[in-house]
Amino acid sequence: MARNKWVQLTILAVIIAAGAFTIGANLSKTPAPKVGETAPNFSLYGLDGAAYELNDFIGHPVVLNFWGSFCEPCVREMPLLQKKYEKYRDQGLVVLGVNLDESTVTINNFIRGMNITFPILLDKNVVRKQYGVYNYPTTFFIDEKGVIRQEIVGEMNEGSLPSHDIEKAIKRLLSG
Amino acid sequence: MKPSAGLVVFKQGGALALLTNTKCECGHQNPVGTVLCEACGLPVQQEVAESDGLLEMRYEGAARRSQKSNPKLLDRIWNFFSSVKVAVYLIIITLLLSILGTLLPQVNVVPSYDPASYYAEEYGKLGELYYSLGLADTFGSWWYKGLVLMIAASLIICSLDRIIPLYKALKKQQPVKHETFLKRQKVLYIGEVADAESWLKEAEEAIRERRYQVTREGTSLLGEKNRFSRWGPYINHVGLIILLAALLTRGLPGWYMEQGFSVNEGQTVSIPGTNYYLKNLKFTEVKEVGPHVSGQELQFAFETDAILYRCVADCNNPFAEPQLEEVLQHKIRPNEPLKYDGYSIYQIDYAFSPQATIMTLNVLRDGQPIGELVLNLTDPAPAYQLGDVSVELTGYYPELTSVDGVPATKSRLPNNPAFILDMTLADGTTEQYFVVPFQQYQTRISGAEDSEPLTFEIGGMEASFYSSYLMVKVERALPYVLAGALIFLFGVVIGLYWQHRRIWVRIDGSRLIVAAHTNKNWYGLRDELAKILDKTGIEIDAKSLDNSGVGKS
Repeated sequence: MARNKWVQLTILAVIIAAGAFTIGANLSKTPAPKVGETAPNFSLYGLDGAAYELNDFIGHPVVLNFWGSFCEPCVREMPLLQKKYEKYRDQGLVVLGVNLDESTVTINNFIRGMNITFPILLDKNVVRKQYGVYNYPTTFFIDEKGVIRQEIVGEMNEGSLPSHDIEKAIKRLLSG
Repeated sequence: MKPSAGLVVFKQGGALALLTNTKCECGHQNPVGTVLCEACGLPVQQEVAESDGLLEMRYEGAARRSQKSNPKLLDRIWNFFSSVKVAVYLIIITLLLSILGTLLPQVNVVPSYDPASYYAEEYGKLGELYYSLGLADTFGSWWYKGLVLMIAASLIICSLDRIIPLYKALKKQQPVKHETFLKRQKVLYIGEVADAESWLKEAEEAIRERRYQVTREGTSLLGEKNRFSRWGPYINHVGLIILLAALLTRGLPGWYMEQGFSVNEGQTVSIPGTNYYLKNLKFTEVKEVGPHVSGQELQFAFETDAILYRCVADCNNPFAEPQLEEVLQHKIRPNEPLKYDGYSIYQIDYAFSPQATIMTLNVLRDGQPIGELVLNLTDPAPAYQLGDVSVELTGYYPELTSVDGVPATKSRLPNNPAFILDMTLADGTTEQYFVVPFQQYQTRISGAEDSEPLTFEIGGMEASFYSSYLMVKVERALPYVLAGALIFLFGVVIGLYWQHRRIWVRIDGSRLIVAAHTNKNWYGLRDELAKILDKTGIEIDAKSLDNSGVGKS
């Protein structure tokens, strides 16, 4: 009888393990990070030739902007991003502009013309897919702990449309 | 002749326990849940004992293995899965959900990055409900996999609980069976013999002739053949379990994948989900006039001449180009995939999308060429040297457009490239040009006004004409699926084409009782028994051996 019990326990344990494994594998398969989740780490080269890693900025609030010079709304919101960067960098705010797979000549020409001074990162569609970005621009607001606090899809503004208000989003990020 | 089965109530540790006494009158102690005595076959379960119809011979009337009088939590879980009723419900639920899962296309084939709104737009309220219920990914969902796993658990536990008692019961069969057991069999003959010993000899001979194994004890006899047929259902359960386990391995990383990707001519791309890269050397659209009645030009094939590379270093290093090693070259055609290392790469579609990749500009001064600029239109280099002229490419717009009067690019595709070129001449003077080669437009933005401007002409172009759409597939569980299916079939064959037949003979004085049992083909058994009896001098019509009417009046 004791032997039977062990056989039963073993079989049930194997089945439960198989279940936990398949179901666990299923549940962990979340493709894109959502608000409230930890921002997935990544490493990219910057246009300046330096290596950037998202986790290096833990302890700082981060505005992560996906943009391309071919995307008109991205181009329109660029000066706003630059303005906020200048306004809040003393308070620790980090702005990262992830470029959507353009040539360095194009990007350089663009940021020179726009007087952009925050770091521009070069992405070959890897981080874009990792973050599930399919509409441009998309901006993630990541807090000091590395948690995504807000995601804005589309052109941001200042004061006119509350859901796309960059000032409000940054204030929220800085107030913790 | 009633068995001594009855209800006994006794106290155990202060709690009332209700137990069935399962001791048979032949003295054998049977486990809880036994229907027919393991030794003599006499019904011990009360309802069976009190009726007088045919005996239910399923599992030889043995108790299911795990049945206990006082089940604990482990036993309760075990007993849940041990129930065939539960198994049937599980299968029905899975079936119904599978049907629901086929009503609308599943997320993996939906052409949208935002399936939630896709279902709402395409199928309205119903689609919204379908998606929110999780039916849009039925077959990949945790609950569907959970159900499959529960069916697997039920298969394993049901089988174990039944095959072990059945195996034991058949192994320790005794030739001497109780009269009641024999009289309640479906095939029965009752008659008289003058000389028991000589009749038994003849009978044994006749039964053996029909390839039965015979055991004799006193004036009782048991003939049995093809017992292995009883293992058929359990063998096919083993096959099913292997099959289900193989399907669950699809969840293991690297075991199952199906992913599409596109690669332009001349391009090298990373094959998604693998450590390999693929270069499209050339795509060919093969058109031939085929045997079609219309005689029209029919497309017969399209193929991608591809090179497969393995990444040997810096594969996931964003700071370095991956180092590739050529593995093989293959022409991928429909149904002729590139196969390597368990991966199959299929040609699934293509698009004619001509695109310039490299542009050569001839630079002339006063009509005299001073050199050529070779510009990679995907990622042009920032600096060039033409003889004594240094050129810096400071601006590149792949598809020129203008936003508020300022040059901009409409896309990343070089459909109408424009360049800003800063030239430093030998004498140190600088000039800046804006060049739009496709529009044969150029302007000198800055530089000495008095000199003749340089001119830029397209000297040559390289282009990619086709985008090839490929699909990479892996199914590492396939051999196991096949093995499971073969074992399943083997079980079906031995269970279907052979029958487990038994003949019991009992002689008390001059009274002869012959009973027989099979798991299928009763007609065949009656016929066989009639032939055996005929050899011993008992002439009887096979039909009259049918005892189905017993207990009914």
